[in-house]
Amino acid sequence: MQKISDSPVSFEIDDEQGYLIVRFAGEIDLYGTPHAREVILNCVKSDRNTVIDLSAVTYIDSSGVASLVEGYQLAKTNQLEFGLINTSEAVMNVLQLAHLDKVFSIHASLNERLQAS
Amino acid sequence: MMSNHHTPTDQAAIEVENLVTHYGSTRILNNIDMQVSTGEIMVIMGGSGSGKSTLLRYMLGLHEATSGSIKLLGQDITEINAEEMDELRKNMGVSFQGGALFNSMTVGENVCLPLREHTHLDENTIQIMGRMKLSVVNLGGFEDLMPAQLSGGMIKRAALARAIVMDPKLLFFDEPSAGLDPVAAAELDDLILRIRKALNTTIVVVTHDLDSTFRIADRITVLDKGDILMIGTVEEVRNSDNERIQSLLNREARHIEIDADEYIKELTGQKS
Amino acid sequence: MLKTFTEKLGQTTLRGIEELGYSLALLVESFYWLFFGFRRHQAVKLPSIFSQMMHIGIQALPIVGILAFAIGMMLAIQGIATLKTFGAESQVVLGIALSVTREFSPLIIGILVAGRSGSALAARIGTMQMAQEIDALRVIGISPVRYLVTPAMIAMLIMLPALTFFADLIALLGGGVYSSLELGMSLQAYADRTIEVLQIDDITQGLYKSLVFAVIITLVSFVNGFSVTAGAEGVGRATTRSVVLSITYIIIADMVFTFFLTH
Repeated sequence: MQKISDSPVSFEIDDEQGYLIVRFAGEIDLYGTPHAREVILNCVKSDRNTVIDLSAVTYIDSSGVASLVEGYQLAKTNQLEFGLINTSEAVMNVLQLAHLDKVFSIHASLNERLQAS
Repeated sequence: MMSNHHTPTDQAAIEVENLVTHYGSTRILNNIDMQVSTGEIMVIMGGSGSGKSTLLRYMLGLHEATSGSIKLLGQDITEINAEEMDELRKNMGVSFQGGALFNSMTVGENVCLPLREHTHLDENTIQIMGRMKLSVVNLGGFEDLMPAQLSGGMIKRAALARAIVMDPKLLFFDEPSAGLDPVAAAELDDLILRIRKALNTTIVVVTHDLDSTFRIADRITVLDKGDILMIGTVEEVRNSDNERIQSLLNREARHIEIDADEYIKELTGQKS
Repeated sequence: MLKTFTEKLGQTTLRGIEELGYSLALLVESFYWLFFGFRRHQAVKLPSIFSQMMHIGIQALPIVGILAFAIGMMLAIQGIATLKTFGAESQVVLGIALSVTREFSPLIIGILVAGRSGSALAARIGTMQMAQEIDALRVIGISPVRYLVTPAMIAMLIMLPALTFFADLIALLGGGVYSSLELGMSLQAYADRTIEVLQIDDITQGLYKSLVFAVIITLVSFVNGFSVTAGAEGVGRATTRSVVLSITYIIIADMVFTFFLTH
């Protein structure tokens, strides 16, 4: 787990079954977002299908969600996959409020995602 | 950094204690005591001159109270210094009666202003956040218009988008339904409820609109001439046998009690 | 009758003292934000200063040019006519040079900017006050002084001396054009003579005055704008009041200034 100094968010990247899995932990808020955003965009820029695991995220605010939107948009223009797994109810509430639950491809786990496709 | 942003608790988000305020030498609020729990929607109602807008302005830290305390998220705003107040304001969103959008800026610039002033986020992130909030209030695609080009209901919704752009823990509304037709007012009420559900925001609404009050309130504070008549749930307020409250609910003209001596002094200009 | 008059006098005096205190506080606060704003993460933004400089200064150039030229001509006409009685027409160059740089340029620019930009500021702030935009700034955590007053103050402090210097040049030119026509002296000779009689102090005196006028216009406009209470009528009244007061204070300040500079 990589801890970024002075940031409320940490992350871990695994390479599983052709996907980069980014596991965030902590809070993706105004202070954590700049780091989380960099991590997300770097994964997509490395030309890999990316899945964001939010299970250990205790709080995500709109700035965090905006970074997910950026990642999704970048993946789409590069014809890559970009998905979310393990989204808690709190995160789903935030996504629903901005009508984004219909936009992202959201699954309970990586396995479920693989089965779905 | 607080970790339990979204867990409803009994802990009070807002605590007003013994608040007394004056305008010049006139006393406007008498010993106001009220608490709003985290995630609760508290509606403050009362007739004109009841002091409800004044109470809101003091909760926003726009004036200095004569005595008493106002705690927002555990911090007493009558005591904290300017820097601490600035920090606290990042957790507060306000939707003013007329929207108070800045007329010289586009709708999008209005919504993003708090982000530009208070954060170091990437410009791209800021723009996406602004558009997201406009989409929350069903104004997606309107970011390049000027406020003057919007209808009254749209201005109120854009103002709401600006108020929630920093994901505030406390949200304040001054007369949200004033000047709106019943449909637009109901839409705004739905939005208030949706935001509370999604973000567990603590919300204070000042209004004289009964329909709106009964739709959104968890609890109601009834003010009259600077005093709290009662604080209770919608049911409790509806069933109250207090005459003043009943007349307020039935929209009756206020019965004015006249003290003959006081009245004569008032008319002849001899202040007591 | 007497009571109401003294009461009114008292109220007016009180209001005046109150406004003076408020103005001084505003002056101190606007410089506080300029120098220490960044410490509270509220630095004064350059673009807002530039946009004010455009409104106050650049856009005023044409009218300043016309006014200054006309004043230079007017001084020449008057000067030559008056000096003719003493047969000292050639001394007109000295008269124009000194009165333009020391007196007329700063005064005319002060009055012009008070009418043009001071009124616009008061109207804008009054309208914002009424629409609760000032409250909105405060609850967003943006100091209205930092966001509105400081940029205008800085822009005024830069543009008033700049406009005054520009007016110096144009007014001297106006005086020169008339003098050369009337007295048959060449523009070159007029210019040489002007440079000969004019001291640096004469010009800086005018520029110092314009700095004082800049502070007066800014403070009067904002104090009146911020104090708008209700109705469109309120904005109109505040606008008129701010122009009249600005001009009054400018002329009084000018007199005091001139008295001390000539003693």
